This record gives sequence, structure tokens and C-alpha cells, in this order.
Amino acid sequence: MTEASLTHDFQYSNARHQAESAISGMWLFLASEVLFFGPLFLAWIYSRHWNQSGFDEGARQTDLMLGTVNTVILLTSSLAYSAGVAFIEAGNRRRLIQCCVIAWLLGAAFLVVKFGIEWRHDFSKGLFPGPEFAIVGPLRDGAQLFFVFYFLGTALHGLHMFVGLILVGWIIVRAREFSPGYYTPVSVVGLYWSFVDMVWIILYPLIYLVGRGP
Amino acid sequence: MSQRLRHLLLGWALLLVLLAIEFGLSLTPLDRLARTLVLIPAVLMAGIVATIFMELGRGPEAPRLFAVAGLLWVAILLGLGSLDPMTRIVYHVQTPNPTSVSHDFPEPGSERPSRR
Amino acid sequence: MSVTDLHTEKSYLTDGFTLRSWLLTTDHKRIALLYLGSITLFFFVGGLAAALIRYNLIVPEGMIGSAETYNKLFTMHGVVMVWFFLIPAIPVTLGNFLVPLMLGARDLAFPRLNLASWYLFVLAGIVALYSVVAGGVDTGWTFYTPLTSAYSKGHVVATVVAIFIAGFSSIATGLNFIITIHQLRAPGMTWYKMPVFLWSLYATSVILVLATPVLAMTLLLLAFERIFHIGVFDPAIGGDPLLFQHLFWFYSHPAVYVMILPGFGVISEIVPAFSSKTLFGYKFVVWASISIAVISFLVWGHHMFVAGTSLYSALVFSILSFMVAVPSAIKVFNWIGTMHNGFIRFDAPMLYAIGFIGLFTMGGLTGLFVAALAADVHLTQTYFVVAHFHYVMVGGMVSAFFAGLHFWWPKITGRLYPEMWGRAGAVIMFLGFNLTFFPQFLLGYLGMPRRYHSYPPEFQVLNVLSSAGATVLAVGYLLPLAYLTWSLLYGKRASANPWNATGLEWKTQSPPLTENFISTPVVTDPPYHYPRPEVAQHHD
Repeated sequence: MTEASLTHDFQYSNARHQAESAISGMWLFLASEVLFFGPLFLAWIYSRHWNQSGFDEGARQTDLMLGTVNTVILLTSSLAYSAGVAFIEAGNRRRLIQCCVIAWLLGAAFLVVKFGIEWRHDFSKGLFPGPEFAIVGPLRDGAQLFFVFYFLGTALHGLHMFVGLILVGWIIVRAREFSPGYYTPVSVVGLYWSFVDMVWIILYPLIYLVGRGP
Repeated sequence: MSQRLRHLLLGWALLLVLLAIEFGLSLTPLDRLARTLVLIPAVLMAGIVATIFMELGRGPEAPRLFAVAGLLWVAILLGLGSLDPMTRIVYHVQTPNPTSVSHDFPEPGSERPSRR
Repeated sequence: MSVTDLHTEKSYLTDGFTLRSWLLTTDHKRIALLYLGSITLFFFVGGLAAALIRYNLIVPEGMIGSAETYNKLFTMHGVVMVWFFLIPAIPVTLGNFLVPLMLGARDLAFPRLNLASWYLFVLAGIVALYSVVAGGVDTGWTFYTPLTSAYSKGHVVATVVAIFIAGFSSIATGLNFIITIHQLRAPGMTWYKMPVFLWSLYATSVILVLATPVLAMTLLLLAFERIFHIGVFDPAIGGDPLLFQHLFWFYSHPAVYVMILPGFGVISEIVPAFSSKTLFGYKFVVWASISIAVISFLVWGHHMFVAGTSLYSALVFSILSFMVAVPSAIKVFNWIGTMHNGFIRFDAPMLYAIGFIGLFTMGGLTGLFVAALAADVHLTQTYFVVAHFHYVMVGGMVSAFFAGLHFWWPKITGRLYPEMWGRAGAVIMFLGFNLTFFPQFLLGYLGMPRRYHSYPPEFQVLNVLSSAGATVLAVGYLLPLAYLTWSLLYGKRASANPWNATGLEWKTQSPPLTENFISTPVVTDPPYHYPRPEVAQHHD
């Protein structure tokens, strides 16, 4: 498939020009997403600063094993999808689909572990902020604020994962259209998927590791 | 192609190593402020995802500019934004009864009390 | 036969007459007009609120009588004007129309995203109007906690949802402009050959893309605080109300530069054209714009000097706030340097531009007063601050918007507006504006607080002057509405370049074809290559 025969929208000079613009556009969007999560991290800083003991006590109630397992799942999912991009770049559509399916399944597994298992467990331990919050006494305020951050942060991340699953699914469905000459949507979705992984990479220590001191 | 796959696997392995370091660091008895250093491996992990998985080094140059801008600006938000609480002088007030203050005011449109 | 001689009926305006061809258009020029209609509507909604505010303040006890109603009025005025007029105005109308034309491109990088951004804007506007009709909100456009999170009985959540949606419209526009400027410049159009208007929009877009998401999360946190009492802003359970203010102003201060930077860009186009002289210090103007975009993110704490932040952080923000004035001042010197020894034509766009330079300078200098910590303790929360920001926003940005609207009106509509009426409108607006807002500097210095529905009797004279000025100002706004609309049907037809200005947009017909250019232009000239030969013979 020659470059000349590849189609592109009328405002672009050629297909590669358009692909470059799409990739740049997604990176710019991801930069804005960094700033979207930023205030949540500032809230973490403030809440921990004003209520350090309680905040860390809250952190100690999290399930370190589930959190770490989920981290490994996401890192592997990102690896799988990136491999898929490399495969279609080399012309192997079959491997693209396989990699995307693996990435998708790992992503779905993350959501099941996080919301099906971990959250349910947290609720049963009374860790949802509100009048029935399980931790009482002088550590209550900080611990409750920790769990506000925890539930809000994981919910927003989970929402982004859910959108990502739809996008990856869309790539799988459209896989027949892609070739080494045209796979821009695959790359663009891959950027988004890896970014959602990056958000978790930052959330993970903030939730499971920092407060877990002796 | 196989070189690319090798790079990806190497990246993934590096990520797991950093995860282990991060995990191990969190188990050591660091004081409460120093515990935040556990974020350093996390930031490095993010860097590996950006460069190896997302190929930030390859391709058009605008993405690199955008990525740096995103990082710089979130650093401004978190850094300059933390300056105030870190340097505020706190005058502690005796709180006679922590619940007494809040119950005087009606909640807009909600039936259940907002405080404990 | 050049393109300027052609009088063709075919243009983007004749390319489809159905509602569908407008509502489903991806043509950046049509989208610009869709936006123009929307923001004009919101300008008059916000203006109506302003009229009622000034009406109320004619007598010391307040004509309207109800403090709560008054609070809702100034809140609505602020919310509508900030998010539904000032922030979008120049970028989505003049920007959308001109960015591809000035670059020599056929459209923006992402035309469908552009259309989506308009629909998001309209949706946000509907939610905002619903909130107003349902009873409004009384917290001020700044939504400070704990008033908003715990005590206000107004429709806080509906209003913040509206702003949240409008924010995504902003981000989409900014993203589109940045990618377009990076990727779709015509052959020969290097970065330093771009008109300053494009650099200004680039700087504006950087702020839109990086600051607006912070607002989105902040409003989300506020909504959760209000509905679920999560506590991040509640000191009684470990939260910090100042966290809200830090997050809110992290966005809202750069946001005011979103409002003024496109205005700077417009002025930088108009002053060289009507002085028949190249822009003085092009690179200074360019890098001043970029510096403003960057430094604007470092000064937000100056809105919180008396809020209870640490003195140390207040000092840092005060020093940084003085720094941000420098690039703006550089631009003023550059405009004046452009006019110096130029051949000045006092058409309406230039009258608005000259007014802008004066009014913006006043507003900018008074910003320094409030940036000084000690002075701000006296001036904060008074009418001095209100006058300061209206000088830069209304005296500055709105003047620039009208300047640009008049300058590019022939290009956008293919019609000339009646010049005498244009000049009259500019003068009336200038006079009305000063009469409205100058007394407010005095009121603030004398101690009249802002956001109060009533005031001590000794302030009445100045308040009445201000309200009288508002009537004149209203005439200044209604006049262009009338004659610009008139010109759509009865105005003289415009040639491709009625002002004899430089820039790629003037090389194509008025109004342009849908695809902008018959063939992709190749750029060889530097920007602002004035004087253009045809004008030189006017010199004596």
C-alpha cells in the first residue's frame, strides 16, 4: 500500500501528517489529564499534612496484597497492548488482536479485583466515609479523609479504565482495517491505555505504601 | 520487530524491579516525612512507561514538549500549592466539644446529620 | 486578474442553506458564527444582571431591597460573564474563524472536535440557564467554601455542573488550536513568520489545556463536599477550606490571562495595520505572550492575601505578581512604538484599539496596587478590586473584542459596516466605560465593600455616577449590535482586503470559500510587512 494511496482528511498534506497530528493531540490531552488528577494529589498532601497520624492509620487498613497484585496486572496489560502496536506496525494483524484481547482481559481483571473484591471487602470492614465509619477517636478525621481520597481516586481511575476498555474493545472490533500503513487509532488508544496505567503507578504508593510505616 | 519486543520486555522487567524496590522501601522503618521518598521509584516507573511503552523518545517532537509541560505544571500545582500549609503558623484552639459547633446549622436540603 | 478583483457570490455562507448544514457543519468559519450567536446571547444575559446590579446601587438602601436577590445577581453576572463570555469570546469566534486562514490552512486539525466543543458549550449554557431560572446561586462566582459546601441554599451543584461542562469545551478548543498551529502551517510559514494573533492564541490555548482540568477536579470535589460532606474542605473534620481557594485560583488566575491574551493578539494586528507600520519588536511581543502564559500560573495566591495563608507564601505570590506585569508592559511599549512615526488611520478598529491601550494600562497598573501586600489589606474586597478587573476585562478585553469584530467584519461577512456609526460606538463605549468604573476606584479606596446590596449614604454620589455611566455603556454595546446587524443586509460589499492589511486572511476573498484558499499559499514575506505599496503614496 503506497503512501500516496492512503487517504487523509483535506486539511492535511498526507496520511503521515495526519497520523502525527493525532498522536500529538492525544499526548496533549494526556497532559491535561495529568492536571486533572493533580488537585486530587494536592488534596492528599493537605489532608496528610493536617492529619498525619489518622491519615496513615487509614492507609494501614488497605489491602497491600490486592493492591500490589493489581499493579502487576496493569503493568502487564500495558506491556501486552504495546506489543500489539509493535505487531501491527510489522504487519501481524493476528498478533495485534491477541495482544489486545490479553490487554483487555487483564484490564477487566483489574476492575474485578478492585471493585468486586477489594471495595466489597473495604465496605464490610466499615471503611466507607460517613456516619458509620469504623475508625473512631482522635484518628478518625485523618483516616476518613484517607478513605475519601482512596475511594474518590480509585473511582476516577476506574472510570478511566472503563473508558479504556471500551476503546481497546473498539480496536479489537476494527482490527481488520489496520495495516502497517494505517494503524493510528491503535497507537492513539495505546497512549491512553498506558497513561491510565501511569496514573495507577502514582496512586499505588500514595494509597498502599506511604502511610504504612511502623 | 523482535528488537522492539525485547525492549518492551526489558521495560516490563525494569518496572517489576522498581515495584519491588518501592515495596521493599515501604517496609523499612523510615520516618513519616521520609516515607514519601517511596514515590521516587514510582516516578521512575512512570518515566519507563512513557519512554519505552509510549515511545515518547521516537516520533514527532511536540509530544515531548507536551509531556514536559504536563509534568512541570503539576509540579507547580503541588509545589507552590503546598507552600502555604507547610509554612502556616498554626495557633491551636481548645476545642471544648468537637460535635457542638456543627449541629447548630441546618443542612441545605438533607435530612440526615452531616457530622458524627 | 487577482483574487481581489473577483466578485464571486460563492462563499462559505452560500455553501448550504439548510439548518442541518449549519448544525452539523465542521467548517471552522460556520462554527465561529454559531459561537458568535451563543456568546452574544450570554453577553446580554450577563449584561442584564449587571444592569440590575447598577440599578440596585442607585440608592444606599438598595433599590431591589433583598440582599439575597442581589447576591444572586452578582453571582449570575460573574458566572455568565466569566465562563460564557470572557473566556470563550475571542478564541471561539475570531480564533476559530481566523486560525486556519492566518496559517494558510483549510481547517483546524480536528474539525469534528470543534463542532463537539460548540455543542458542549451550548449544553453547559442550558444547564447554567436552568440554574438561574430555578432560583440561582448566591455565593459569588468564586464559590468559596464553606458557604458553598455547607450553608448556601442556592443551586450550587447545578451551576458547577454547567461550568464543568463548559470547561471541557474550553479544553477541546485549546487542544485544537495548539495542534493546528504545530501541524498545519502553510509552506514557508515558520514560527517567527506567524502573526502575533496566532502566538497569542497559542499562549491562551496552553493555559486552557493546563489550567481548566484543575477547575474540573476542583468543582468535582466541591460537589462531593456539598452532597456527601467528604470533608476535604471542612476544618471541623480535618479538612482545609483554603485548599478550595488554592485550587480554584490556580485555574482562575490563569483564566484571566485566557481572557486578555487573545485581546493582546487582536491589538497587535490592528495597530500595525492602522499605523501602516511594522509591529515594533515582534519577538519581544511574542515572548512576552509566552511569558505571560507561564508566569500567570505562579501568582494565584494574590487572591488570598487576607484569607489566612502563611505570610511567607503571601510574600512569594506578591513578588511573582509584580513580575507578571512586566511582559504586559513590554507589549504596551511595543504598540506605542509601532504607532510612533506611523501614518495613523482612525477607523473604528483603531479607535477601539487605542481605547484598549489606555484602559488596559489603567487596569494593569491598578493591579500592581493590589499586588502589593500591605496595600491589598486595605483594598481587598472593596470596589477598588472591582474597578481594577473591570478595567482590564471590560475596558481591555471587550474593547479588543469589538476592535477585532470590526476589523475582521468585512472578511467574515463580506460586508462593510457604516464607518461613522462604528467610530461613534467606540467613543460612546470609551466614555460610558470610564464613567461607570472610574468612580469605583474612588469608592473602593474610600472603603465601600464589594458584594454588598446596600451601602453608607456618603457613597451615593459616586454610585449614581457609576450607574449613569452604565447606561451610556449599554448604548455603546447596543449600537454595534444594531448597525452590525444592519450591515449584514444593507452594508456595502467588501473586497478581499478593504483595510490594505498584511496577513494571509486578507489574500482570499471576503467572505472566504469553504476551503479558504483556491490553492495552498506559500509564505515568503515576514509578518507585518508594512507599509504596503498602495498606502505609501498617502504620505505627504
